[in-house]
Amino acid sequence: MTVLVATSVLGTFILFLAIRLIAQSGSKRPRPAVTADEYTDARQALDSVFVEATVIKRIFSVEDMEFIARSAAPAIKSTFVNERKKLAIKWLSKTRKQMARLMDLHLRLASYTYDPSPGYEIRLTAKYLTFVTVSEIVLLLVWVLGPFKATRSIFYAIRTAGGFCSTFSMRLERVNPTRLSADRESLVH
Amino acid sequence: METHVIWWMGTALLAVLLVRGVVAGNFRKYPLFYFYIGSVLVKEAVGLLSYRFAPDFYKPLYWPTELATIVASYAVIVEIFRKSLRHSPGIARKAQKLLLGAFALTVSYAATDLLLGRFANASRAIAEAGRDLRYIEGALLLVMLWLLVRYRILLGPNLLGLISGYSFWVGLNVVSLAVLFLPNNEFSALPLRLVPITYVATLTIWCISLWSCRPEPVQPTHGAIERDYDLLAAKTRSILARSSNRLVRVMKP
Repeated sequence: MTVLVATSVLGTFILFLAIRLIAQSGSKRPRPAVTADEYTDARQALDSVFVEATVIKRIFSVEDMEFIARSAAPAIKSTFVNERKKLAIKWLSKTRKQMARLMDLHLRLASYTYDPSPGYEIRLTAKYLTFVTVSEIVLLLVWVLGPFKATRSIFYAIRTAGGFCSTFSMRLERVNPTRLSADRESLVH
Repeated sequence: METHVIWWMGTALLAVLLVRGVVAGNFRKYPLFYFYIGSVLVKEAVGLLSYRFAPDFYKPLYWPTELATIVASYAVIVEIFRKSLRHSPGIARKAQKLLLGAFALTVSYAATDLLLGRFANASRAIAEAGRDLRYIEGALLLVMLWLLVRYRILLGPNLLGLISGYSFWVGLNVVSLAVLFLPNNEFSALPLRLVPITYVATLTIWCISLWSCRPEPVQPTHGAIERDYDLLAAKTRSILARSSNRLVRVMKP
């Protein structure tokens, strides 16, 4: 019976992936080639994540909240908390979009790579999935508890984003730039 | 009667596929695939001749010829591998390692069974070896499909049809074989009826998708000067970006 279950799973997966492949190939939108510009943008996105991380840490520092709580009126305190909450949510969704873009780029860059390693693939996918899960939880916590009660989870999200970016930057090192698409417009400016 | 209709349909479709392959020019494009189709056609012809003129030979011939066609069907995997990953050398290397690993693992498992002599007779041994080879084929195909989906490899209509038909055939065949070999099972009549129908459906998919030779997706090509310029620009940008990345890391508290 175990063999039957295992082979049924195997057969089902084959059919499922074949249908996925047909749907993917039938898509009207052609797969865009990776341009030299996108390659450079990815590097800049990585840099911005590292720079923003320090700024974001400062924004959610409890010291600011303590200062406002001591010296400002309740209305100002409420505005302050609301603004920081909006900022946290905006930062989280922006970083998630950036990570998703990098992951997409990683998959599209596959054919430009000298030699992809399975170990690296697993590490990068695991880090991406960790970030996605953590950011979902953080988003919920920020929404429910507010930004200053979820600081530890925000910092953890920053760390996971940093971890993913560090791994991704190693991936960019292995790209063969000669195989990138010749997007003339993007190379002119 | 039903069996005869399916058999004749299958054989006719095989012949049409081969003739169209030669006429449309797909034969030269996918030689290994047509080698498999040719070997199945030969097997069917041998089966028919022995059934009509030497019925005593039909039974002992059936499983060895079936095994030979299963081995020949590996040519289709190689064809898919060759054609779909020829523009992605990095993934091709990775796929080669994965496929060889999966193949070695399952062949050693099947060989152990054969060496330990767990079979009552030769026909049963060949049949089970054929079933194990089909499982390996399924595992290899799964790896290939996963790579094609994950890395969004661009496929032409001919190759896509070839892969779709093959996946449909192997996917359903693997499940049917598992049901067929279950001890004391009452469901074996179902796969026995399902397999030939699946086979005809697969041949129909192949006939439609390989009826004419369709162009492959265009890969970007550049002139020599453009290419040199791109190379220079991309390398400079890469160096600049890397330097800024290192600077940011140094400045990070």
